[in-house]
Amino acid sequence: MACAAAAYYLGSNVTGHALATASDNMNYSRWQEKFFALTRTTALINGLCALLWFLAARFFFTVDEATGAGKRIIWAALLMASLAISLGVPHLYAPMLGIKLNGIIFGLNAVIFTGLGYWFLTIFTTPLAFKYTPLGAQFFGRRGV
Amino acid sequence: MSYYFLSIGGTGAKVMESLTHLCIAGLLPSNERLYIAAIDPDVGNGNLERTSTALNNFAVFQNLSVGNDTSLFKNKISIVRPFPWNPTGHDKTLDDLIEFYHHSRSPVGNLYEVLYTKKERDTTLNEGFRGHPSIGAAVLAKKFEDGSRLTAQIEKVISEGDAVKIFLAGSVFGGTGAAGLPTIARLLKNNLADYADRVSIGGVLILPYFSFTPTNKLDELFARSENFLPNTKAALKYYSEKENLFDATYFVGDTVMTPVSEFSVGSANQRNEAHVVELYAALAAADFYSRPLHAPKIFKYICHHERDKFSWSDFPASAERFVQFARFIFAYVHLIKPVLLDLVSGSAKAYKYPWFVDFFDGVDITAPDVVNFTFYAEAFAAWLKQIETLNGREVFLIDSAMFEANPAKIVDKKLFAMLDGSKSNLTLHEIFYRLTEPFKADSSVKGFGKFLRRLYDVCAV
Repeated sequence: MACAAAAYYLGSNVTGHALATASDNMNYSRWQEKFFALTRTTALINGLCALLWFLAARFFFTVDEATGAGKRIIWAALLMASLAISLGVPHLYAPMLGIKLNGIIFGLNAVIFTGLGYWFLTIFTTPLAFKYTPLGAQFFGRRGV
Repeated sequence: MSYYFLSIGGTGAKVMESLTHLCIAGLLPSNERLYIAAIDPDVGNGNLERTSTALNNFAVFQNLSVGNDTSLFKNKISIVRPFPWNPTGHDKTLDDLIEFYHHSRSPVGNLYEVLYTKKERDTTLNEGFRGHPSIGAAVLAKKFEDGSRLTAQIEKVISEGDAVKIFLAGSVFGGTGAAGLPTIARLLKNNLADYADRVSIGGVLILPYFSFTPTNKLDELFARSENFLPNTKAALKYYSEKENLFDATYFVGDTVMTPVSEFSVGSANQRNEAHVVELYAALAAADFYSRPLHAPKIFKYICHHERDKFSWSDFPASAERFVQFARFIFAYVHLIKPVLLDLVSGSAKAYKYPWFVDFFDGVDITAPDVVNFTFYAEAFAAWLKQIETLNGREVFLIDSAMFEANPAKIVDKKLFAMLDGSKSNLTLHEIFYRLTEPFKADSSVKGFGKFLRRLYDVCAV
């Protein structure tokens, strides 16, 4: 929700006006309306990545041998999926909504949805047995000690 | 209160090994220090060497900061030097030690010649008394008075107002133990007679529980297992007539004579595998230490449920603390140590092991206390496995097949349940998970000790 709000607020204020006037049959308030639908959809699909990681780490991963710990490959795969969603959903969905986007919007989506909504979120919500699997998690203090 | 344990001979050394493990596992009462002394003319004895190594390991890591509110490492151990005390010296015969040459033509000398054969008199005693308690009794009676610092140390402790419980362990069917138990007990009792109200002496008399077949040294003087039962019969008759020798006497034996895998007269080759009888003898010591100083003499018989099987339920005391310690050691040896080695070699990444990131910051895993604990943990695991794999006696303490590989192959998620039957549902995943959960300890708990404390706690059911 916070990511969707941040993406919507920043996207619509930084470049939204220029993009709205550049589109056919579009004004700023209509563009905002459709852009909100776009950010909400991107946030929801993206949120599934973080949720999926949490559920897997909490309920499905088991450490049956010492070397089986970690699971960073799965975390990284979900990070890539999140990035694909952050960029792919706007790329595919914006033409369907009839609005134009630019590189700044895609950059903001990548930073907000993948950077904050997946990476940063998983650093603090990953179950304790895999708490240092997200890259950089060790730099954010030791949880649970 | 101070606890003293005196091992006499090879069997005593093996009881000492079991007691060392029980002590480190926190099975002795209260937090008293255990002073360990050993008497053995066979100083190079492989059994003694194994115990000595475990004791020296513990001496290095016993002060790890695990906190005072845990049973882990709560009883510290001090080794009474010289360790072991060798009453015979090097390359000495009975004639040398008795100083026969001064008495050779006297009536005493003549009596001596009648009592001891030429072979008994001329055999060097570097490898013990070779199953001949008559040799040992003569040597110990002469040498204990002027050779042992044990009495002086105990007297010092008592003079400071402390009470002392002394426990002796040895076999009644061999040489050193059979000679030493009554002799040392009597000498200690006499030497400490002035402090009788503050001293209690107990002893465990180990009855025959193993047998062996001598190989190619038939002309030498050595213990013979066919003499064990006659020796035992004579010893028990002696003890029945000397009922005041010990304040508490424990008898432990077995109906099955476990064959020793490789016969040895003594020395480094004498490395007999651990036996459940020795564990029982060590539990007898723990029982003695837990009793009031001058408890009335009681007679109790304990036995196990099934004649030919031994399992955790046959423990005379609650086994839970010991089982927890066993889980803790196996978790360390099979799960933690391999990871530490991989981390040191750079073949593993620290992020995979949150407990490593959380507990090992600033810990040098090549430091002596860490290395000595690792050696000790492996020795404990090997010891427990030896008890499990006794030849001739079915023991069901751990599933040794689970631990044939090191590190263990985790084919069964209920690995730790295999340590104690079905009581525990612990899995490796559960251990990993518990290690990462919040852990609050006082500021004195730190370093590698903090990690061990945490690992020990999470190994509880």
